[in-house]
Amino acid sequence: MGNNYKVKTAKQKPKLELKLRKPNIKKRRLSGGKPLKTGKPPDKRILSKAEQLLLRGFVSDLSNVRDDLGEKVRRQTDELKLKSGQLRHGADRQQRSDKRIQKQTDELKLKSGQLRHGAVRQLKSDEHIQILTQAIKSMTNGMFLIDVRKPNFLVVFSNAAFQTMTGYTERELLGRGYFSLRGAKADSGVVAEIKRTIRQGTHFRGEMLGFKRAGQQYWFQLRLAPVCSASGAITHYVGIQTDVTLMWQRDFEIKEQREELLHVTRVGKLAEFVSSLAHEISQPLTAILSYTNAAQRLLADREPQIREILQYINNDDIRATEVIRRLRSLLKRGEPEIKPLDMNALVKDTVVLMTTDATIRNTVLKIKFDARLPLINGDRIQLQQVLLNLISNSFDAMECGPEDRQILINTARRDRDTIAVTVKDTGCGIPTPNMPKLFSRFFTSKSDGLGMGLSISRSIVEGHGGRLDGTNNPGRGATFFFTLPIKQKPAP
Amino acid sequence: MVSNKNHFYIVDDDESVCRALGTLLGTYGFSTKSFSCAEEFFSAVPNSAPGCLILDIHLPGINGWEAQQRLSDSGSKRPVILISSDEDGGRMKQVFQAGAVGYLQKPFKDQELADLIRLVV
Repeated sequence: MGNNYKVKTAKQKPKLELKLRKPNIKKRRLSGGKPLKTGKPPDKRILSKAEQLLLRGFVSDLSNVRDDLGEKVRRQTDELKLKSGQLRHGADRQQRSDKRIQKQTDELKLKSGQLRHGAVRQLKSDEHIQILTQAIKSMTNGMFLIDVRKPNFLVVFSNAAFQTMTGYTERELLGRGYFSLRGAKADSGVVAEIKRTIRQGTHFRGEMLGFKRAGQQYWFQLRLAPVCSASGAITHYVGIQTDVTLMWQRDFEIKEQREELLHVTRVGKLAEFVSSLAHEISQPLTAILSYTNAAQRLLADREPQIREILQYINNDDIRATEVIRRLRSLLKRGEPEIKPLDMNALVKDTVVLMTTDATIRNTVLKIKFDARLPLINGDRIQLQQVLLNLISNSFDAMECGPEDRQILINTARRDRDTIAVTVKDTGCGIPTPNMPKLFSRFFTSKSDGLGMGLSISRSIVEGHGGRLDGTNNPGRGATFFFTLPIKQKPAP
Repeated sequence: MVSNKNHFYIVDDDESVCRALGTLLGTYGFSTKSFSCAEEFFSAVPNSAPGCLILDIHLPGINGWEAQQRLSDSGSKRPVILISSDEDGGRMKQVFQAGAVGYLQKPFKDQELADLIRLVV
């Protein structure tokens, strides 16, 4: 701006020179005006009248010029003032605008921070979802999701384990009605129960038979739970199913083994029972036959009618004897199968068979093995029968209700030639009067006992060249033990 | 050993069996004396006393086999007939090894007993 002003002053100069040569009459009257500092001051004494007039005119012109300049300066100053005011105003505005910008920047920063935070959260949540999805996919339990808003309960998700279990691919499962997967042979009762559960919006848990895509059967455990939307309405059901076929198979095998052993035991008991019965009955039959034969001999040729009657008695006695003999041969205990046996393994197997029983009876079965127990020669089933009988007696002995129901089975080498197996319990023990009759046939302290168990067990152990005995513990309960000869190494 | 032919000792824990056998043997003209266990027999009858022995295998206390063993160990020459309700499969060899003259499975007919007695006396 200063520049423009200078330029204007420069332009004024020629105009000023012109005015000095042609003096304005009007401005001559304006005397008293201060002489301009520019130019030489006139010497009043030597100036002519004309010169004085000219000078006066000149001074007047100068004064006019001065006035003009002053006006211009004033105007320009005003302009400058205005401009400066405007500038100042602009600066204020600028300041206010700057504040606003700062505020907006701050807001932006905050927003950006929030956005970044949100993004991190989003990232974390994505990772979370990914891990969860991966976890569901890698689960060894079959998992699926069905949409229960549609009538067919369509599968909307399934994991790999479920696909393996059912034999369908992911694509085959998607959008397929859940119940159509279960095969035509599925238990309709179970299907109806599951549908009812879904309708009621409750949980379902059950074990059932399933059919794979190719038709193979498998047993599985199914758990169903409702899934709610944000509004609280049940939209889906999540299902988890576990293949329990192997578990069931194992249970079944154990059960079968146990049944077999129990059967053998029952048959053994029955055989022993019949054998005892036969012995008991054969005594009176022997007497009857001898009496009859004696009477027949005494009557000799006399009393033919009475002799005939005696012959009938004789015949029926023989018939009764035959019936018993046949029964006995039918239930004759099979020949023992003697093989080298590891008693530790046999105890372990037997304990496995008794585990369920132990759990039901709230009893702890403990084993303590002599790891260096030598082999023995024996019949596996028969010796298992002995163990089973002793353990089951201990179970019964603890029915009287001790707090810590415990059975400790112990194997140990007894001496150079024998091993011993001990079954110790914390039960009610053996009443002293029962001690002498403990191993007698038909002696029992149980309301439903036959009185054969210990008698058979002892005869089995004795058949193996060992000994079976029982005694009361110093504290509580009883201990039964049997010894067996160690398998002799063949002579060199 | 002449008197062995006339007298029989019966050892059986069943009283009825003892009495019935005694009656039957009586019809053959033998005299009999019964015992319910082996210990009773040993304490009452010395080896020197003549007579045959009908011995049950299943006895309380000393069983038939053990009693037979004890007799032979003591040098007795008394003829012994073992009786039992057990089947005789494989028994006979054991019976003879033990030194007895025969075995009868209960119940037995008078004829079977007579055949065995004929063998003994």
